[in-house]
Amino acid sequence: MALTNTSKVKEDVWISTCCGQCYCMCGIKVRRQDGVVTEVEGNPDAPTGRGKICVKGLASPQLLYDPYRVNYPLKRTNPQKGIGVDPKFVRISWEEAMDTIVKKMKACQEKDPRGVYFQATTTQASEIRYGVTGFMKAFGTPNYWVSGGGLHCGNGAHFMNGIMHVAWSIIPDFAHCNLPLNFGCSKGHGAGHVAVQNATQAADSRARGSRTITFDPMQSAQASKAYEWVPIRVGTDGAMALGLVNVLLNDLGVWDDEYLKYKTNGPYLIRPSDGRYMRDKETNKPMVWDLVDNCPKVHNDPSVTRVQYEEEAHDVALFGEYDVDGVKCRPGFELLKEHVKKYTPEYVSEITFVPASTIRRIGKEIADNVEIGATVIIETDEGPKKIPKRPIAAHFFRGSQGHVNSGWTCLSIDMINHMVGAADTWGGALGLGAAVGAGYKPTGKPYQIPYPDEDGLLMCKAWVYDHIPYPLRKPKPPTRLDLHDMFPTSIYNAFTIMNPKWFEMLEQFKIPYRPDIMINFGSNSVMTMGNAEIVTENFLKKFNFIFSFQLYITEFEEAVADIILPDTCFLERYTPAVSFPSTFSHPTGEDDWGWTIRQPVIEPMYERRDFNVVMMEICKRLGILHKYYKALNDVTVIRYGGAMSDEYKLCEDGSQEHTWEEVVDRMLKDRFGPEHGLEHVRKKGVFTWPKRKEDVYWKWFNPSRVPVYFEYFIDSGEQITELCKQMDPEKKYINLDWSVFKPLADWYPCPTHTEKNPEFDMHAFYWRAVTQTNSMTQQNPYLDEMSQEDTIVFGIQMHSKTAAEKGIKEGDLVWVENPEGKKIKGWVTLSEGIEPSHLAFAAILGHWGEYMPVAKGKGAFFNDLVMMDEPHTDPLTLNQDICCRVKIYKD
Amino acid sequence: MARYGMVIDLNRCYGCYACAMACKVANRTPPGVFWARVLRGEMGTFPNSVRQALPVLCNQCEEPDCMKVCPTGATYKTDDGIVRVDKDKCIGCAYCVMGCPYGARYKVDDWNSYFPEGLPLSPYEEHTKEFWEQKSGLGVSTKCDFCIDRRAEGKEPACVQACSAKARVFGDLDDPDSEISYLIKTKRGFVLRPEVGTEPKVYYLPPR
Repeated sequence: MALTNTSKVKEDVWISTCCGQCYCMCGIKVRRQDGVVTEVEGNPDAPTGRGKICVKGLASPQLLYDPYRVNYPLKRTNPQKGIGVDPKFVRISWEEAMDTIVKKMKACQEKDPRGVYFQATTTQASEIRYGVTGFMKAFGTPNYWVSGGGLHCGNGAHFMNGIMHVAWSIIPDFAHCNLPLNFGCSKGHGAGHVAVQNATQAADSRARGSRTITFDPMQSAQASKAYEWVPIRVGTDGAMALGLVNVLLNDLGVWDDEYLKYKTNGPYLIRPSDGRYMRDKETNKPMVWDLVDNCPKVHNDPSVTRVQYEEEAHDVALFGEYDVDGVKCRPGFELLKEHVKKYTPEYVSEITFVPASTIRRIGKEIADNVEIGATVIIETDEGPKKIPKRPIAAHFFRGSQGHVNSGWTCLSIDMINHMVGAADTWGGALGLGAAVGAGYKPTGKPYQIPYPDEDGLLMCKAWVYDHIPYPLRKPKPPTRLDLHDMFPTSIYNAFTIMNPKWFEMLEQFKIPYRPDIMINFGSNSVMTMGNAEIVTENFLKKFNFIFSFQLYITEFEEAVADIILPDTCFLERYTPAVSFPSTFSHPTGEDDWGWTIRQPVIEPMYERRDFNVVMMEICKRLGILHKYYKALNDVTVIRYGGAMSDEYKLCEDGSQEHTWEEVVDRMLKDRFGPEHGLEHVRKKGVFTWPKRKEDVYWKWFNPSRVPVYFEYFIDSGEQITELCKQMDPEKKYINLDWSVFKPLADWYPCPTHTEKNPEFDMHAFYWRAVTQTNSMTQQNPYLDEMSQEDTIVFGIQMHSKTAAEKGIKEGDLVWVENPEGKKIKGWVTLSEGIEPSHLAFAAILGHWGEYMPVAKGKGAFFNDLVMMDEPHTDPLTLNQDICCRVKIYKD
Repeated sequence: MARYGMVIDLNRCYGCYACAMACKVANRTPPGVFWARVLRGEMGTFPNSVRQALPVLCNQCEEPDCMKVCPTGATYKTDDGIVRVDKDKCIGCAYCVMGCPYGARYKVDDWNSYFPEGLPLSPYEEHTKEFWEQKSGLGVSTKCDFCIDRRAEGKEPACVQACSAKARVFGDLDDPDSEISYLIKTKRGFVLRPEVGTEPKVYYLPPR
């Protein structure tokens, strides 16, 4: 349908590009009629999306044209900062904005460039991994965090999935999985990763008759579509998983012998004195016990190694005591099997509120469905190959891992898969995204085939960040403002920077500089991390100068920004690499690989300018443009799997400048050959090439093993304990329990589970509504209207019976208060679809900012209850605990 | 001549609202107008309760009540069974809005912006306003027409195209070999409120 009065129409075109409403990065086609963007559809050519696009992507014309967008640079004229302070923004010219910014940046550069702190949004994940990282390297600052995702996302999940699957996340092989076990995650149900294709795959799976079991405190989309909803207490998924592992190993005697022997470190011999590997004296490699030759062998001795399924190898021991060099050792798997015995269904039931009989029954269902010993034949580049078929998969994401027990919860859930061999093989749990791939054949890029390290464990070739998931980082005296480089895992934390004595802490840890300038790219951290007052007062107000690339004047800009730069949205810019590195963009399964690009559908309106272009201009004025180009060349190696060839490298010696379009063009030509540059790729918005089946089901094609006994955690625990002892002997600033760095999985309670005050009788948590998630969606009036179609989005969901007991009725205004005295207001919506002791909030709502009138006043601001302190931090992954014990009372 | 209908598979549908949004964007419907909509309901008691999403749209009834109550003949059926409104004949009495047993009709008297008052319309809203006024009209009854203009371009209705769960199938009910005829026959297809006797042409497949 063109404009109805066709005589007026001069232009009606569809442009292929990539969505930017969240990090799923689906390929889209956008309609432009007479210069106006009018419609969005999925791009059938793009394997990331395959012709479908979600409710948020569809609604994006209202984002592009929102009259409340920031269209001109703005300057704060009120020197006072804080929540509720009128910033008195005035319009300024780009020239004034840039002059001010560059002057401040220059001063910081001369004093200590580490005073710059980059804060970014996960929604624009591609910009983070390229331009943001490139700038930080060029300028010379290590200080960075992302808000919105980050600590509310996957510090635990990405950590564990990296170690176990070289992937950012995991997902069932929906096409063949018969029993997906969903630990409260929205994957396949709209708000999760690879949102639209996973939804297609999950729907196909339901139609095929798969039996999903969903553990969730509320009847979420995933629970309501499941064959069985198991209401569970928030934050206890790890205990549930260990209960199931125990039922499998110790009650039913079910595990995958072959998998554990040749694809894990389960047979590695452990010495009793310190729990470490028994190593070969000559090679220092871990050893297994060869049951045929009846002697120890190094783990990768050809006689005890099976790379492909059909290879043969000697049997090795998973049980027993063996004498090596006079030391009596036992295989790690046996230690694990004994360790999980304490997670009896009765004990787990007390923790999780799930009946013991249900735990036993589900354990039996896993055993009955996993088909250990079954195989299928797949077609590979080397012809047909036999691989194991294991049609069960346990998966999870933020809900189950946003807790003090984050790291071990993730591991425990995934351990179900690894006990029965259902990992990265047919029907099982697959690494999500482009975890494994040999690249486009003519260039061999992007290349990301994992490989084993000296100890035989899975190593990454390409990764989302510079720090790969294994081995863990060695703790060393910190240099960062969040001290993060002293910790063995993850990317950033909150408990340091949110400490009211942050600067004293920096003194203690010998950090010689202080925060000076914050650059914000698209984040609203006043609302997205935790209690707004704490974030603002303890952290953001410590910066001397804050400038922000933003679409709206959010609560962040209102509270603390000195200058706002009007950014372009995803429909107005180029992005060279969107679906790589793939975190949440590529679907699993047998579709092609696709490298999507983003290209402008219209020229930026008003005085909006693309973040990428402005950062280049800032670099130029700071005299570091050549360093910026070099940094972009450098990050390409690990982010996008393989170095830039000399021909297409950005100029590193300062003799040449590139436009941003040219940066895109060079990246494409480097990856896919000179004939596949921007002019070629912009037609379809994507470059595709075939995916090999051995890259989908890679487990039995790769010589790596994965740990089930986390021996190397012991070293990390000792190192971080020692470092903290040296630097903070009185534990004045860091008093985390480092004993969680240990080789075997356990469940630990959150403060929610140990609260003694009976007044605080409810568990509160938040969930991701499909219309309002992973992006700044609340100001979009189409999404706002759609959200009002489901009362649980803007209401506080409460069980009808519990509400009746408290005299609360549908629509009542209530206060919800945590034990620390933080409270939020909202209205109640009654439901049967929630565990009776829980309150559910859709995140992240409750805006109060004056400049986002559509969003203002809708829903409750759950994050105000989130405390970002040590008791709410997982020592293993530094992840943030996002459940609270609360009381609820009428206004 | 085909007799068009739709099947919505409630087992596949997971309630993501993409159909409703795709409809809104394709037809440029103003605030409060949902030619395609997703209703929510809860049945049973904890822990055996069920939250169900129910996508609805005009049923393009074979015997439409809305047509019966129309005093001017503005509501008519096309040869392929689509119930349409001739906006030039419609006098805006809204009998059809009241008469439709499925709440699928919308009468819009004044076009409103999606944003708070006081600002000039954005280029997009200028476009949607013009589009709405020309195609659907103000002060008259409006409704889903199974995306007649999209179909003229060889595309599926917007709600069908957008459905990532592939829950919606559009096709010819008179063709015994069509996918929708097959689904209705083999998967226990049913219609909403059969008792009102309007012979709806939107069928549903049960949730499980």
